[in-house]
Amino acid sequence: MPKETFGEFEHRVMLTILQLGGEAYSVPIVLELEERTGREVAQAAVFIVLQRLEKKGLLTSRMDDHAVGETGRVRRYFKPTAAAMERLKESRRAYNRLWEGLDAVLEMSSE
Amino acid sequence: MRHLPLYIRLFLHLILREDHRRSVISDLSELYQVRWERDGEAAARAWLRRQTRLYPFTLIGAHLRRREPSHDSRLTTHSPPTEHLRTLSRDLRHSLRSLMRTPMLTATIVLTVGLGIGATTAIFSVIDAVLIRPLPYSNPGDLVRIYTDQPPNRWPFSVADYLALEEQQTSFRGIAAYWNATMTFTRDDVAERVQGSSVTWNYLSLLGINPIVGRQFNEADGVPGAERVALVSHGFWTRHLARDDAAIGRPIRLNGNDFTVVGVLPRDLGPLEYQREFFIAEPLQTPPRKGPFFMRVVGRLHENAEVASAAEELRAINRRIFPIWQSSWQDETTTWGMVDLKAFVVGDVSSTLAIVLGAVGFVLLIACANAANLLIARATHRSRELAVRAALGASRGRVLQHLLSESVLLAIGGASVGLLLTVGGIQLLATAGADFIPRSAEISINSSVLWFLTTVTLGSAVLFGLVPSLHGSRTRFEAALKSGGRGATDGTGPRYLRRALVISQFAIAAPLLIGAGLLVASLAKLQRVDPGFDTSNLLTAAISLPAAAYPDTSAVRAFWDQFQVRVEALPGVAGVGFANARPPTQLNEINNFNLEDHPTPPGEIQPTAPWVNGSPEYFDVLGISLIRGRMFDDRDWTSGDPVVLVDETWASHFFPNESAVGKRLGDGGSPDWTTIIGVVSKVKYLGLDNPNADGTVYRPIPPSGSRFRYFFVRTAVDPFSVLPAVRQIVRELDSSLPVSGVATAEELMADSLQQPRYLAVLVGAFAMVALLLSLIGIYGVMAYFVQQHTRDIGIRIALGGGPSDVMRLVVRQGMHLVVVGTALGVIAALGLTRYMSALLFEVGATDAVTFAIVALGMLGTAVIACFGPARRAAGLDPARTLREE
Repeated sequence: MPKETFGEFEHRVMLTILQLGGEAYSVPIVLELEERTGREVAQAAVFIVLQRLEKKGLLTSRMDDHAVGETGRVRRYFKPTAAAMERLKESRRAYNRLWEGLDAVLEMSSE
Repeated sequence: MRHLPLYIRLFLHLILREDHRRSVISDLSELYQVRWERDGEAAARAWLRRQTRLYPFTLIGAHLRRREPSHDSRLTTHSPPTEHLRTLSRDLRHSLRSLMRTPMLTATIVLTVGLGIGATTAIFSVIDAVLIRPLPYSNPGDLVRIYTDQPPNRWPFSVADYLALEEQQTSFRGIAAYWNATMTFTRDDVAERVQGSSVTWNYLSLLGINPIVGRQFNEADGVPGAERVALVSHGFWTRHLARDDAAIGRPIRLNGNDFTVVGVLPRDLGPLEYQREFFIAEPLQTPPRKGPFFMRVVGRLHENAEVASAAEELRAINRRIFPIWQSSWQDETTTWGMVDLKAFVVGDVSSTLAIVLGAVGFVLLIACANAANLLIARATHRSRELAVRAALGASRGRVLQHLLSESVLLAIGGASVGLLLTVGGIQLLATAGADFIPRSAEISINSSVLWFLTTVTLGSAVLFGLVPSLHGSRTRFEAALKSGGRGATDGTGPRYLRRALVISQFAIAAPLLIGAGLLVASLAKLQRVDPGFDTSNLLTAAISLPAAAYPDTSAVRAFWDQFQVRVEALPGVAGVGFANARPPTQLNEINNFNLEDHPTPPGEIQPTAPWVNGSPEYFDVLGISLIRGRMFDDRDWTSGDPVVLVDETWASHFFPNESAVGKRLGDGGSPDWTTIIGVVSKVKYLGLDNPNADGTVYRPIPPSGSRFRYFFVRTAVDPFSVLPAVRQIVRELDSSLPVSGVATAEELMADSLQQPRYLAVLVGAFAMVALLLSLIGIYGVMAYFVQQHTRDIGIRIALGGGPSDVMRLVVRQGMHLVVVGTALGVIAALGLTRYMSALLFEVGATDAVTFAIVALGMLGTAVIACFGPARRAAGLDPARTLREE
């Protein structure tokens, strides 16, 4: 059975969560993505992707109730599941295989 | 902490699912705060607007991309808000597919409803530009038009009046005046008549019009003896001055005089400046007498000025200056009045526009009724499909929503067609109506027109969609399933509904057709009016001799004499005459006068009549006959005694029991007596529809008189064939003279009926569309009737009923509806047409002939429409029909 792969933006969001320490809510994800891509990111798009990944069982989420009292903020933290980590590794391996022996090609084209 | 604005919270609340709502809104407001601190307030707000706008699209996009969700989600009773969005988009896609399966029906509805929407919106755009939008001047609400008030007439001001008002008034922040100054513009060897305005120096600044290049007029420009200066329109600057800034400060030549161009006005000016190419600041000097009256005055009220007290002040100043000018103006009852500038500009066009809007509104209603009719038939055919949906658990609300989404799609299609029609329509309306629709230059598609289009579209969607949808969602599902989809179509509900719709179509079409009929009848009457002169083979145009090049009477006489002799010598020319007016509408002068035998008592209003200056040949050339007395001849310019001719109407009105010849009158308050030397046949100068019960007075044009003349060339051949030769003669006499306003008398006649013809064609076209849609409606219902009653008809034929019996049965069924609808419509028309009586000429608003012709025409065409289905019914094979049942 062929495994479903991540969409481009899903992939980025997953990696960003990992960059942010393995668990994050949407605000730092948006800011980090903007930092790394240099472009404005739509919060709506991030929200949709997080929701979709959770439905697919690749993220779990929890509400952070402690924060409510202090700041009035209601935060939903997302965390990759084991299945997601497995799929990320798989996708990394797949890319690595595809990249094998292509360093020389890249160097030539950059000259 | 930065809070999100309330409306954004509410918006997100509506479109987000409950389990995500709080955290998403919280996160968004946190990001908002980060932006605010990092990028500043403006950037943060802009960012927030972008983000919020993205939400609905992202949500819709997200689940459109997903495959069809599982079936159960459709059947849940409680669905969160995003679920609504999802079902809506699914409904829309489904509806689109099912509409595509019936392209003829879809196209019919989209086109007819689109026609209704487009026509209504186009007319609205005219109404918006003319009646709703404020005038394009600064603070237009303060502007008024001030006039000499002599009911029922409103005359312009004289210089004496203007200077007195300017000096004494306190209610206005300022007053200014403009008057027509059409001049000959010459550059190198090219000469052209150009329309312009003479204005008081403060006119443009009072209205708030500022030059885009150069300077405004200032007070020094209005001092007598100042350098002659002009401001030119953007169009003039582009066409004649190559849009060159260097043209500022250089002279242009108008009527042989040099005017220094001091600036260029913006491209879009107001209705008072319509088609004006240049503006000249005209210095004013105290005149020797009260008249003449030519200045059109506008005033700007003080911000808190009372309109009533300002009007009272006008009357008071007028009374105060009356004694000063009493020697040249004895009429004490004449006073000054004012009216809101917009009301003055718009005039009486609102009743015409209301009638046209009513007409297109009716067309839209009929188109909606037609669409409803077709959709009911469709819903009935689909009752089985709808029943299956209901059986699978769809609530009545869901079925209703699905059916409504079809009408929304149809309406959107109609709106697209409508928008195209609007774009084309307003071009047509503005071009064809430019001469009589005030502010036609301002007609455009703006946001209020688009709002109107949207509202009309949604309104029509509800109108033609709701009834069929309610009906479709109410179908008795068990019956529909049991009978295999056929039995349920026979319900009485839809049948009555469709019949009621057809009746209402005819009831709406009848007043529209009758209204159009009345306008056409009135136009026909106008076209048969005798203008009083022979309009065939008559060429006319105008020439104006500039005072600079023709300074004295001998130069003027030399030109006109040579012109006349040389044109008369052309082959095919029978005669040449001159006048300062052109029947049937172009009149330059209306004068008050006093009769020696029946003087007007002091304090009463003197009679007035159109005054025409004509050369002796004018009467011959036009075919005006001498009834009594004698024509103008050489005596009249050598003796110096003023003489006039009057027409028969004037003679019988003022001297009913005696001959007018030899009587004397004093014109325009002049103390000198003018003798009437003859009576001639009457000619229309105030328009074909104006009875002009007071008649016309003719003053002679002496050979050396009048720099401005219309010439009239009577030809034995096609009048246009002599035009090149006439132009050549003018060029040879003076190459810098333009010949303007070239037209045949027949063209002048047609032009004078432009407005009634425009209205008749417009309303007539809409009425024809209404009739056509109604006929489609009755045809559809009868075709359906035959289809539903195949069995009954078969039995009837089997029992010996002949084809003509069957046909009569079907036609009688259909005509029942048509007669009821038409009768209701005729009754409605009796009440409605009186609102257009002001637009009718010698045709009563309840003209029996028109009513009868229209009603019979509607019945006749409806019989033909019923004939198709009737013939099909008569041609049924009873054996086959009964077997199939």
